[in-house]
Amino acid sequence: MSRCPLILTWSLVLMAGAAAVSCRPTIALADPPAAKDSADRAADEAKLDEQLEAARKQLDAAARQVAELTAQLSRPVIESFTDWDMDGMHGRAIIGVQLEATTGGQGARVREVSPGGPAAEAGIRTGDVIVAVNGTEVKGENPARQVMRLMRGVKPDSKVSVRVLHDGTSHDFTVVARAAPGYFFAEFPNFSPGLMPEAHGPLLLHGSVMDMELATLTPQLGRYFGSDKGVLVVRAPADGALKLEDGDVILAIDGRQPESGSHATRILASYQPGEKLTLRIVRMHKTLDVETTLPARAAHKHVATGESHLHRVVPMPPLPQVMPLPQVAPLPPVAPLPPVPGADKTMALRDQA
Amino acid sequence: MHTELEHSRCVARLLRELPDDAGRPYDWHEFQRRAQGAPAAAARVAGVRALAAAIVIALAVLATAIRLGAGPRPPHPPAATVAADTAAPAAAGDASPAERDAAAAQYWLERLPREPAVVRVGTRAAVETLEDHIAQVDDLLTTERAGSAPAARLRVLQRERAQLVNSLVQVRYAETLADATR
Repeated sequence: MSRCPLILTWSLVLMAGAAAVSCRPTIALADPPAAKDSADRAADEAKLDEQLEAARKQLDAAARQVAELTAQLSRPVIESFTDWDMDGMHGRAIIGVQLEATTGGQGARVREVSPGGPAAEAGIRTGDVIVAVNGTEVKGENPARQVMRLMRGVKPDSKVSVRVLHDGTSHDFTVVARAAPGYFFAEFPNFSPGLMPEAHGPLLLHGSVMDMELATLTPQLGRYFGSDKGVLVVRAPADGALKLEDGDVILAIDGRQPESGSHATRILASYQPGEKLTLRIVRMHKTLDVETTLPARAAHKHVATGESHLHRVVPMPPLPQVMPLPQVAPLPPVAPLPPVPGADKTMALRDQA
Repeated sequence: MHTELEHSRCVARLLRELPDDAGRPYDWHEFQRRAQGAPAAAARVAGVRALAAAIVIALAVLATAIRLGAGPRPPHPPAATVAADTAAPAAAGDASPAERDAAAAQYWLERLPREPAVVRVGTRAAVETLEDHIAQVDDLLTTERAGSAPAARLRVLQRERAQLVNSLVQVRYAETLADATR
């Protein structure tokens, strides 16, 4: 797999970003002229908003492509290091830390914290020393391996109690373990060769759900929308997917309470396309349960397998279209010169000649 | 003469048939009204110029990258990479440019808010995919280190981690940019 598509994709991110940014000054500079027809102005702004939204979509598509291609590139390396017999295909529970032995022999030192990982979210920092996991002390030889062994008894999405030493002081953290990404393969009729590795997890989300926008409720927003918890749907999927509407507040997804927009995305991503789910929402200050289905991708089949020889080079999907250049308003026409007195006579005389 | 007269009449008829607003000049007030629209047009032209400049820069970066060898290259199995690294193990302090970039990138990531005020599900899904992969590589690095794996094996995973972190920064930058233009 070449890294060229990544460079190309990132170039598109730059272009889309420039387009998105270039639209803004246009709005700011377009000082509303007193005499300009307000309808014209509204139409101009609507057009710019449309272009801005298109640029955002391109940025989103390019970001997604960067993630997909990077994940695809790293997959063979990760696979070659994975112990399939021990870990299985669907991934075991991980907390997102790199550990090493401490010089003193007590506990496992956190060498790196994975950005955005469960440990980082819980507040564990590089340099902390893990001394206990779920009440079991970590001591003796090879403490890092001990922590790994203790983690094998933990299920994804369950809470792990981690005690660390930070600057000599003991701190307790509750970390919600996540499942390490597993590997699935999807068969697409439009791709040849037919087997396409597909990331398991958030990238399985697709369609109009991708355009959905969410915000974590603040107390002020919560009062307005009639809930003190949940995630606000700023923009619902355009085609009515998930049966959500703008202004809904998602309280729970099959009983799981999202605490932020990211958390809601992660919960939604834990479902397979086409799977049913129940959303508890607040709409117009009323709580209701909505039974819905995560949109299914067009005709595909999942084949769960751990065999790396099934990897094939995937043809590059079409890159998003670069946004068309904005229309430049026509310049005002130059007024014609007034007729020269006697010019008619001169022309007539010349014609006669 | 007769032909000339017919020709003149024909031209006169054609002139009369022209639409009124095509030939008639507008007055001063109309000129002022249209001229007031000119700043908006100029701003749009500036926007177009900015976009064109961005395209040129992006293409130049792409062309340079391909010229310098970052372009298409054949994939190689990880086993081969490990073997090559074992033959010539890198010094502990010899971080690749990607790894150095990743260290700086991680510093930048740590200072970003956990998520933008408004989360777009598509971009967030991309962010979370990369975060999950980085956590998995970190987990593998712990296992390898605990099993006293050769330095070359660790280097392969560290390089992969650097690549993932750099991509995460790009995606989070795109997310931040999209949020800033909201």
